[in-house]
Amino acid sequence: MRQVDLFDDYLNGLLSGEEKTNFENELKNNEIINKAFQEHKQLLEVLQTQNKRKQLKDKLKAIHHTEYGHNTKIFSINQEETFAKRHGKTIAVAASTAFIAVLTTVALLSTGGYLFTKQNNQITNLNRIVMDLKASQDGIVEGITRPKRTVYAPAKIEGSAFALNNQGYVITSYHMVKDADSVFIQNKDFERSLTRVILSNPKLDIAILKVENTELIKNWQVPFSIKEKNSDVGEKVFTLGYPREDMVYGEGSLSSLSGYANDSSMYQISIPVNPGNSGGPLLDEYGNIIGVVRGKISGAEATGFAVKASEIISTISNAPDSTQKEVTLLKNKKNALKHLKRTEQIKKINPYVFNVLVYK
Amino acid sequence: MSKRSVQFTDNQFIDGLRSGDNEVLTALYKKYYNIVLKLIVNNSGSQEAAQDIYQETIIVLYENANKTGFELKCQLQTYIYSVAKRLWLKQLKKGGKTFLFKEEEENEVADVTEEITEHEGKENEIEQMNKSLLELGEPCATLIKDFYVYKLNMEEIAEKFGYTNANNAKTQKYKCLQRLKKHFFDHTTIEQE
Repeated sequence: MRQVDLFDDYLNGLLSGEEKTNFENELKNNEIINKAFQEHKQLLEVLQTQNKRKQLKDKLKAIHHTEYGHNTKIFSINQEETFAKRHGKTIAVAASTAFIAVLTTVALLSTGGYLFTKQNNQITNLNRIVMDLKASQDGIVEGITRPKRTVYAPAKIEGSAFALNNQGYVITSYHMVKDADSVFIQNKDFERSLTRVILSNPKLDIAILKVENTELIKNWQVPFSIKEKNSDVGEKVFTLGYPREDMVYGEGSLSSLSGYANDSSMYQISIPVNPGNSGGPLLDEYGNIIGVVRGKISGAEATGFAVKASEIISTISNAPDSTQKEVTLLKNKKNALKHLKRTEQIKKINPYVFNVLVYK
Repeated sequence: MSKRSVQFTDNQFIDGLRSGDNEVLTALYKKYYNIVLKLIVNNSGSQEAAQDIYQETIIVLYENANKTGFELKCQLQTYIYSVAKRLWLKQLKKGGKTFLFKEEEENEVADVTEEITEHEGKENEIEQMNKSLLELGEPCATLIKDFYVYKLNMEEIAEKFGYTNANNAKTQKYKCLQRLKKHFFDHTTIEQE
């Protein structure tokens, strides 16, 4: 038994009468052990005090919010969002300025893209870098009028993601989570949760995340599965994603079996995709996952690209064994969405498509 | 201000704090907020600063109320005012500003030096802990907190972090803890020197 375990058992009252007496005698007689024990105790006390103070502080902030929130414009912020705490007052102003900047950028992106189509026919990654500031501004306004709601600092980048299985694994675009400090997912039914990047493939631009808190995914029943076989040109397809705070649906058809620069790992689709769509699912009309939205060509507004589902499968099967064992994909299972109307399909799929918030 | 205002005595407030009664906590918060707000705003603080200091003050009161043998030696209002004043003075000093402190004469002041010293000491330790946990990184920081603060058992930790069994999780926790101790105590000694 390690010394630390003995300390823990003693502190948790798990030692038997005799063990306890022996240990207490040792504390009295052995100065080295006694010092180690005191340090251990001190460390745990600090951890516990830290937690207690934070909990009480949060409670008090909530009380303040409820009682005085309407006239003081102070909003509660979580510990990790110290940025918002420091700059809270300026965010709303900054956000509106930024929103104007976004409008300009978006306009530039389309006209600029058009002007330089030939020279610069590159894929535009579709994360929302500045767009979300508008959303966060709304968030703040809501936070002021609606007490008790936690207002978070704006994420650096936002995009989309969707569930791969019932074990809390989700897939998104690699370019969003690259070099991230922390990555959260959320949607209307799913509270903002921290995830961990467990696998990434920069070449295909996909990353697999895992929801850290297993409690939250207990009731997951992912309705769709991944189609292994490639789809055909002309098939009706649709996307779901978070180009803004609310989920947005897009439909069109599969226009090509290769993507930008004849890349055979991608499909081309005739669905206009927008910043924030990156990482969202591409589904066929039966509700099967056939790809992950990746980006579009600058200037080509009604064209998008998606990484093929078969590439996701091969990425996972090329991963280290331990990861492979973890990420069991729902493949070609009986499709519960097949005979449903589109609106019904979307209702079932919605809870498993997420808004990704990335902090760098 | 409230729909129905229940009057609590000082001792009822203390008891309510101890038992974690939210109604009492809310009533307490509302009762003395304006006194502290006035104190801070009159002494070059913002509303936000007042809110922050006031919440710190209640934390001091809460932690002391939960000590065995705690007894309020003055009026609760005096206690809260005194703690808030000391906390605010400290913050002003940290900002390097010195000026005449304005206060209304009707406010009595009690000696809360012991409380303030202890609170500051713990606050420093917590800051040190936050730094150490940051250096420790993930998954260690979360693992340590899950075990020691949220009291998850090793089976739960193994499942959450993907260790094959509870024993492996325990070994991992041990390694994390050793590293945390090194970060935490090494810094503390340096600071004391």
